[in-house]
Amino acid sequence: MKTLICLSLCCSLFSGCSFKNVKPWEKESLAKPIMQFGGIHGAVSKYESHVYFSKEAARGGAGVGGGGCGCN
Amino acid sequence: MQLNRLSLITILALSTHASLHAENYVTVDFLQYNENDNRVAVSAPSVSAAYDIGTDFSVRADFVNDAITGATPVWQSDALTDGGSGASGRVVNNTGDYVYKNQSFNDVRNAWSIGATRRFENRDELNVGINYSRESDYDSKSISLDYMHYTDASHNRSINFGISGAFDEILVKSIANGGKYRDDDDDKSYYKDDDYDSESGASQKETSNTINLQLGVNQILNETSSLKVDAFAVLSAGYLTNPHQRVVRNYNSAFQSLGDESRPDKRTAYGVALKHIVLLGDSVSLNSNYRYYTDDWQINSHTLEENAYYEASKNLTLGAGVRYYTQTAASFYNASKEHFTDEIYASSDQRLSQFNALTYKGSVDYKISDNLSYNLGAEFYEQSTGLKATMITTGAKYHF
Repeated sequence: MKTLICLSLCCSLFSGCSFKNVKPWEKESLAKPIMQFGGIHGAVSKYESHVYFSKEAARGGAGVGGGGCGCN
Repeated sequence: MQLNRLSLITILALSTHASLHAENYVTVDFLQYNENDNRVAVSAPSVSAAYDIGTDFSVRADFVNDAITGATPVWQSDALTDGGSGASGRVVNNTGDYVYKNQSFNDVRNAWSIGATRRFENRDELNVGINYSRESDYDSKSISLDYMHYTDASHNRSINFGISGAFDEILVKSIANGGKYRDDDDDKSYYKDDDYDSESGASQKETSNTINLQLGVNQILNETSSLKVDAFAVLSAGYLTNPHQRVVRNYNSAFQSLGDESRPDKRTAYGVALKHIVLLGDSVSLNSNYRYYTDDWQINSHTLEENAYYEASKNLTLGAGVRYYTQTAASFYNASKEHFTDEIYASSDQRLSQFNALTYKGSVDYKISDNLSYNLGAEFYEQSTGLKATMITTGAKYHF
């Protein structure tokens, strides 16, 4: 039920908003290294994910790549 | 000049909003992770490289080596021995009780991954990856595939679908064998070369498989902000028990015993992850993340994370962040030695308990030249269970 509520919230978030049609020449700010969802250090993000995977029970949501390990 | 402008537009159109920023690089990084109370310490050097083959193909490879030492808390007999290890130690004191205390271990983990990206005429992307990880008692092989499709000509919205399969082998060191593997060929290597006595349960090789699915939408909101929403599912089956964890059963009876923990052989998890990033002014970005997770072990979790980056100068970028995590306990978890009797599933592993966690972090990225940059980061992690950890990372990235 909670999952359905979350999915419904996401759907309504998208359906209720209008987005600006940003042209390619207007995307200079979006192309900055500090504007990447994964942060500016890919290796640090991987280290963090591994630590959280080994110390916490929740997982998923950060992409499908990466292998398992016996740390959890 | 016109050519330069067109080139810039082309680069921006191709690079922004894509899941992958195409570039050629080599990075060398190092992690030093330390927990309080002389628990786990990890030193982990890693190297990564990516290379573009024309405009339509990229390849990448990563390697990491984890050297793990320290101890992790498990239920143990409080018997003290005279220094011999395991069964060879002479018991000098035994009250017959059990204590939850650190058990020493050390291990080395090597993990490799390789991947390739194919970009199509409309700049849709197909990514494939292969991962392999090996420890003394754990092997993991996985393959992943994800596809990103632009839904509009301006490349402001894309949808992603990803799937991966992980196939793990676990060497189980049963307490029924005094906590020792059976080294059949006496080569001091307890894995791969040995036979496993599955009939007696003395030691055996178990397997588990995990399928990870993710479906998401990435939407550019305006010139300075983007939103990403992903729904995910993680489906695991097989041996999901932690082979190093113990539980005490029937503590208040004459039949009290210390045995291996036991978890269900299936776990189905679902969740949603939201990410929003916005540029404030010209030089500060604010990255907000939220994840909701639930599974059929009755674990529910919320994760909130806020990261900020500040371009202090052309060469210097500063970062700071905070993360809050909370989870409920698994239905078969209990910390007490007096709780379990004959339950099928039982665990006292602290990672399945109810707890909250906070992470504080900061980083410095310094661009030494157009091709070379250096980074240093520090993180402090604290759980309500009492676990505290520090994480120091440092690395260099060379573009070419």
